Amino acid sequence: MSFDLPVTAAKSGKTDAILDWLQMISGVALIIFVFMHMTLVSSVLINPGIMDAIAHTYEANYMAQVGGPLLFLLFLFHFYLAARKIPFRLEGQKTIWAHAKMLNHRDTWLWIVQAASAMIILIMGSIHMWAVLSDLPITAARSAARMQSGPWVYFYLLLAPLVVLHVVAGLYRIAVKWGVAKDYSREKLNKIAIGLGIAFIVIGLATIVRFMTLAV
Amino acid sequence: MGRQLKFKIFRFNPQNPESVPRMEVFSLDETDSMTLFIALNRIREEQDGSLQFEFCCRAGICGSCAMVINGRPGLACHTKTKDLPDEITLTPLPVFELVGDLSVDTGSWFREMYNKVESWVHTDKVFDPNAIEDPMDNAIAEEIYELDRCVECGSCVAACGTARLRDDFMGATALNRLGRFVIDPRDKRTDEQYFEVIGSDEGIFGCMGLLACEDVCPKNLPLMNQLSYLRRKMGVVALKQIFKK
Ligand code: HEM
Ligand code: SF4
Ligand code: FES
Repeated sequence: MSFDLPVTAAKSGKTDAILDWLQMISGVALIIFVFMHMTLVSSVLINPGIMDAIAHTYEANYMAQVGGPLLFLLFLFHFYLAARKIPFRLEGQKTIWAHAKMLNHRDTWLWIVQAASAMIILIMGSIHMWAVLSDLPITAARSAARMQSGPWVYFYLLLAPLVVLHVVAGLYRIAVKWGVAKDYSREKLNKIAIGLGIAFIVIGLATIVRFMTLAV
Repeated sequence: MGRQLKFKIFRFNPQNPESVPRMEVFSLDETDSMTLFIALNRIREEQDGSLQFEFCCRAGICGSCAMVINGRPGLACHTKTKDLPDEITLTPLPVFELVGDLSVDTGSWFREMYNKVESWVHTDKVFDPNAIEDPMDNAIAEEIYELDRCVECGSCVAACGTARLRDDFMGATALNRLGRFVIDPRDKRTDEQYFEVIGSDEGIFGCMGLLACEDVCPKNLPLMNQLSYLRRKMGVVALKQIFKK
């Protein structure tokens, strides 16, 4: 009987399934990291002393020295996984761009925003991590000094909103792909994502302004 | 009443070596309850007899009249002109092979899809024409019926960014079709056998969650829920296989 005949498998193996799991898990880990990171750095808004104390705790426990490079590996790992989906050839880029323009569909545009912001974050995120981790310890004064020198403020004014955008889009995407949100809760999820996005962009910008005004 | 509609329609006949792809403009006065089915037929009768497009049931049942309407795939017979602006752009569905003008060959695509997902109940039970049909739990029957409402118009595939980027991606309608057998108690295929068919980037793991399928499906099939259900189910199958070893 046909049901125990070998199925005409287009392609077998578990690789794609595992990579999809890992993509989701790396995404969730990065979402948690970014939200925690931005919240902790924003403690400078209350008082630079608090930020120094938090940073000091992290360094005393080697979480910055070990965690930092580990995070960089996670960042590269996530890039490796997600890049499987990005069209790197011009032909593919033209196709998806024309498709998005034709459809004019929110979640299709959102994916383009996510893929495009990803490429910028890959470069700027690496620069940011290098700049901070090669100049330990982390203190409010050092961050303020960096922010006030050269083009760094523009660098962060671009990076912070882009990361928030990418992360919030990722959160939305994971929730709809894995069924955390169902069709009836999709618009609610969308509102939560927009709310989170606005909140963290405001926190990020406020932190940048605080660093700009901190006496060094 | 009395709107003058401007139709910009894609024209190209691949059979004719002289034909070049182009957009042609037609004007038509809008009438009451006009659908694109009515409009296209009037254009063909009154203005250009060579215009190619497909229709059959004109009631949203056969799925043959799907086309891209102002950028969005949808059924022409189900679309009222009063819901559209004065200017209406019609192009054929992408992904599928063009027959001519607005007509595409969805039939061959779907035929291949049936073969790929083996779109039939797999059972070793010998069919007895004289026996009474096995009863099925009503809730399950309704759940299957909900997924069986697909009219195979191809809109979800044409709207899918993933399908546009990689032509081996099966698309929402195929995944939905397989999902229909997953919940059918008569089908004796195991989860591992289903995984063989859709457990890859050609199947469920290729889906990037763009959800255009969900948003364009003219029959409002629960594609978003169905795709996430299959992703979780197939994801678990893969994990089980690894930890069993
Ligand atoms: C701070 C760093 C980053 C964070 C927090 C982050 C977070 C996320 C999250 C949560 C997702 C959703 C995953 C999913 O749909 O399964 C995602 C998707 C994605 N990320 Fe990132 N990401 C970061 C950096 C990058 C970088 C550097 C790249 C690569 C250039 C990248 C490329 C992508 C792409 C293309 C997707 C879409 C994948 C898909 O739809 O299947 N991300 N990211
Ligand atoms: S799932 Fe919806 S959009 Fe896709 S082929 Fe079926 S009816 Fe058409
Ligand atoms: S003609 Fe049958 S669905 Fe439109």
